[in-house]
Amino acid sequence: MSILFQGRATGATAVKQSLWNRFVMFWVHHLRQAMASLGEIWLTPASSLLTVAVLGVSLTLPVTLHLMVKNLQQVSSSVDQAAQISLFLKADTNETQIAELIALLQANPDVADVQFIDKSQALAEFTAESGFGDALSYIEDNPLPHVMLVSPKNTSSAAASALLATLQQERYVELAKLDIGWLERLDAIVSLVRQVAIAVALLLMVAVLLVVGNTIRLMILNKKDEIEVMKLVGATNSYIQRPFLYTGIWLGFFGGILTFLIEEVLLWWLKQAISSVTQLYESTFTLQQLSLAELGYLLLVAVGLGFIGSLLAVRRNISQIEATGL
Amino acid sequence: MLRFEQVTKSYSGGFVALDRVSFHLEKGEMAFLTGHSGAGKSTLLKLISLIERPTTGKVFINGVDLSRVSRGQVPYVRRDIGMIFQNHKLLMNHSVFDNVALPLVIEGFSGKDMIKRVHAALDKVGLLDKVRCLPHTLSGGEQQRVGIARAVVNRPPLLLADEPTGNLDPDLSKDIMNVFEAFNQVGVSVLIASHDLSLLARMRYRTLTLKNGRMINDGLTSYGADE
Repeated sequence: MSILFQGRATGATAVKQSLWNRFVMFWVHHLRQAMASLGEIWLTPASSLLTVAVLGVSLTLPVTLHLMVKNLQQVSSSVDQAAQISLFLKADTNETQIAELIALLQANPDVADVQFIDKSQALAEFTAESGFGDALSYIEDNPLPHVMLVSPKNTSSAAASALLATLQQERYVELAKLDIGWLERLDAIVSLVRQVAIAVALLLMVAVLLVVGNTIRLMILNKKDEIEVMKLVGATNSYIQRPFLYTGIWLGFFGGILTFLIEEVLLWWLKQAISSVTQLYESTFTLQQLSLAELGYLLLVAVGLGFIGSLLAVRRNISQIEATGL
Repeated sequence: MLRFEQVTKSYSGGFVALDRVSFHLEKGEMAFLTGHSGAGKSTLLKLISLIERPTTGKVFINGVDLSRVSRGQVPYVRRDIGMIFQNHKLLMNHSVFDNVALPLVIEGFSGKDMIKRVHAALDKVGLLDKVRCLPHTLSGGEQQRVGIARAVVNRPPLLLADEPTGNLDPDLSKDIMNVFEAFNQVGVSVLIASHDLSLLARMRYRTLTLKNGRMINDGLTSYGADE
């Protein structure tokens, strides 16, 4: 609507269009502007490439740390034996009491598996493996207790130690033992790495925002004359800033893609080294890569950062350019 | 159509660019604004196009008080005023078509409707054959006419021109003026700032004369009196 001239038909609103037509044109218009911004990037390849490279490298570090956490968690969850609780039974426990305890444990919802090791079986094992062999045969009574190995359903160290505390209370149990020391250490390391990843990610995101913002700011200054002319013929700030916002989105998108590519190369390069380590530990470790959903999040974050960075730049700079005109 | 009421514009430092200027341009009227450089012509045009705001006094367009127009509304006001600049203000890396279409694109036109209007505007200034050219391949007079086509493409009721014949030889100046007259004849109000006195003498339109920021003459014969 015209402000000065009541009833003066202005703009495309003067042309009668159906709602559907307008809806389609809205998207066509935005698509066209997005493509125009893409062309703009293509026209200034050097500075755009540099910006995309900075984005790609910056985002690679947090993504790498994320993958590290993911793989460490896989390690900690694959070693469920670590969370196995050994119950040493009282020496005078008889067979019916043992059967009773086994039944009780199997009924416990927190227990995944119960394995009973008879004391004579344990002695035989010990004789075979310890190397004391003959010396042990001089012992008249078997000094070893019956042992029950209990695997908890939830292998996190907190849940395992809670189960340990309850099993300790059982009537026939002399001593319950859980070797969670190294599991706790691993958990602590994983959570440390995760904290570091979050901190690094936040810092680098700020860096990405600043880099995108600065690139867009330079683009705006380069087009100062053009923006001035547009203001003189009646372009609103939001109209002028739209192409720059699209440019920011594109920069973010390409930065995200570059991050993914760097990450893939990095994983391919590390795969050899990692597999030689895991072979030494006879582990069935498989290197976790970026999943499709994670790739989606990565692109979303990258595009979001590009958008916000350019938004900050246009907010500051476009309204400052005033038509000096005549 | 366009009314100034006791408008004063002073800049920081105490320089008074316009001093209590009042005049009224009727709807459909064509007038010249003249005076030496520094007399306040450009300032006056800037106040109309809201590039600057008056220190005191009021400017009305079609009865609307421009001091009531908010910052966000300024672009919409400018769409109602066709502006032509001495240095053309064309986008040099865009074709003639893109330059003329710019006001329409900003207002959301597209497709056939836009092409039709752009061609009509270029036809009026006699540049239909240069539609695909880049501005720097055109002569000064042609560039000025592209600027005019851009100013009139969305058919504004008011046309402002700042030294539109500034760098042109007399024949070209006459062509440009004929274009303005043609728009005036279809009801557009036109205000042209110019210091080309011989041109004003030939054209015989109402002439507003500024001197040191004051309106010293308003009428047909002003050009001779001041010299």
